[in-house]
Amino acid sequence: MSSQTLTVETEAAGSLAGEVAARSGQNLNACYQCRRCAAGCPVGDDTGVTPDRLIRMLILGEKEEAMNNLLVWKCVACYTCGTRCPNNIHTARITEALKHMIKEQHLEPMVPKVANFHSAFLTSTSHFGRVNEMEFMGIYEMKNAKNELTKGGGVKAIVDEIKAQMGLGKAMMKLKRIHFSIDRIKGMSEVKRLFSKARK
Amino acid sequence: MEIAYYPGCSLHASTAFYDVQCRDVLGRLGFDLKEIGDWNCCGATSAAKTNDFLAVALPARNLGIADASGYAEMMIPCASCYSRTLLAQKTLEGDKDLRDRINAELSEKVQGKIKLLSILDVLVRKAKSGEIADRAEKKLAGLKPACYYGCLQTRYPMDVEIGDSVENPQGMEMVCGALGAEAIEWGYKTDCCGASASVNDNDLSVRLMSNIMKDAVVRGANCFVTTCPMCQLNLDAYEQKIGERYGISERLPVYFITELIGISMGIGAAELQIDRHFVESIELLKGLNLI
Repeated sequence: MSSQTLTVETEAAGSLAGEVAARSGQNLNACYQCRRCAAGCPVGDDTGVTPDRLIRMLILGEKEEAMNNLLVWKCVACYTCGTRCPNNIHTARITEALKHMIKEQHLEPMVPKVANFHSAFLTSTSHFGRVNEMEFMGIYEMKNAKNELTKGGGVKAIVDEIKAQMGLGKAMMKLKRIHFSIDRIKGMSEVKRLFSKARK
Repeated sequence: MEIAYYPGCSLHASTAFYDVQCRDVLGRLGFDLKEIGDWNCCGATSAAKTNDFLAVALPARNLGIADASGYAEMMIPCASCYSRTLLAQKTLEGDKDLRDRINAELSEKVQGKIKLLSILDVLVRKAKSGEIADRAEKKLAGLKPACYYGCLQTRYPMDVEIGDSVENPQGMEMVCGALGAEAIEWGYKTDCCGASASVNDNDLSVRLMSNIMKDAVVRGANCFVTTCPMCQLNLDAYEQKIGERYGISERLPVYFITELIGISMGIGAAELQIDRHFVESIELLKGLNLI
């Protein structure tokens, strides 16, 4: 046993946990660390941090750790943790809230591709009202390329990524599973208004 | 019976054949699917992961259109669209301020009237009434599907009543039983395929799917059956890669539930567009003399 003393900055802890609880609608304090969530989490092996650990970090005010761990980005929103939690805490809602906070605070996402994917998906939706897979994948790969050039694996990483996606794209085309026409909805002005309200 | 219908983006693109099958098969079961006008993308998980307001507002616009359509019920075959739309409806039921903020931007306001149905809600109803069995000209003897529900058919991040077990749902098994297919018992029916991780975190998604694939093979399934377009696309498109990476030699077709019902009704494989699968999916049906 280590003799380290647990120190908690109560004020900071309260404000972080409070903000996440308010945004996610989840009662973090109800967690009694039974770890049923951890047992069911399909990505726990990859992330190291499981839902119970994340909740603990938040309660203890460990902001740096809570905002910088793989669970926030690799959570697949399968909702297994939440449906198995005896106290009904949905950690997928918590990882959503943390992603929003990371974006608002202009912090670097730990897995940029995940952030790029969701942002590209919504950008495409904001253009036509429906997702156009070709446009969406184009925006996504442009974002990835920018990341790789500025701080990632450089040109080789970009080429590998595009090759992988092109392989799937070609196979989908052969099976007529890609459509080329653009479905632009008539009510775009409404959709645009919703997008601008979302930015406020 | 006329019923409102929200196909969503997938059914207009990568799984357009699911849209064709839904209209045909449900039509023969007595449902006249009325696609709601000028619908928009539900935002899927991307909206939820990016912006709380959009996660509700995007499906809310569709709810307004559906409420104005005058139909009592709307069927949404895509598990993700169904989940997001249902969550938006539930959220707006309990949050008048948010409803007012969103309705202020909509020409057709959310009224909270329309009852949302997943494709399984509709099919289980028809299995219970005996109509699916009655319409099954061909019994699907020899077909041993692993019924794959994925995440969003049974799990929601808020309190939602589902008419089935969360951990061990039986709706698809009931439908398969009515068709004369012998659904296997297995342990991964509600496990996650990774969804969009197949694009943005492929190794993770392939690993998750390898568990699903291994269990289905070990339990003796000769195909998968699903209702979710994302699960179908992922398992189908990456099965070869999963097999190579994790040493699985079997390749199982990943059918939509509508394909199995369609085959049993005597609809041709070409009409159902079963040639749109990555994994060869016709030979199994031929070998069992089902087509």
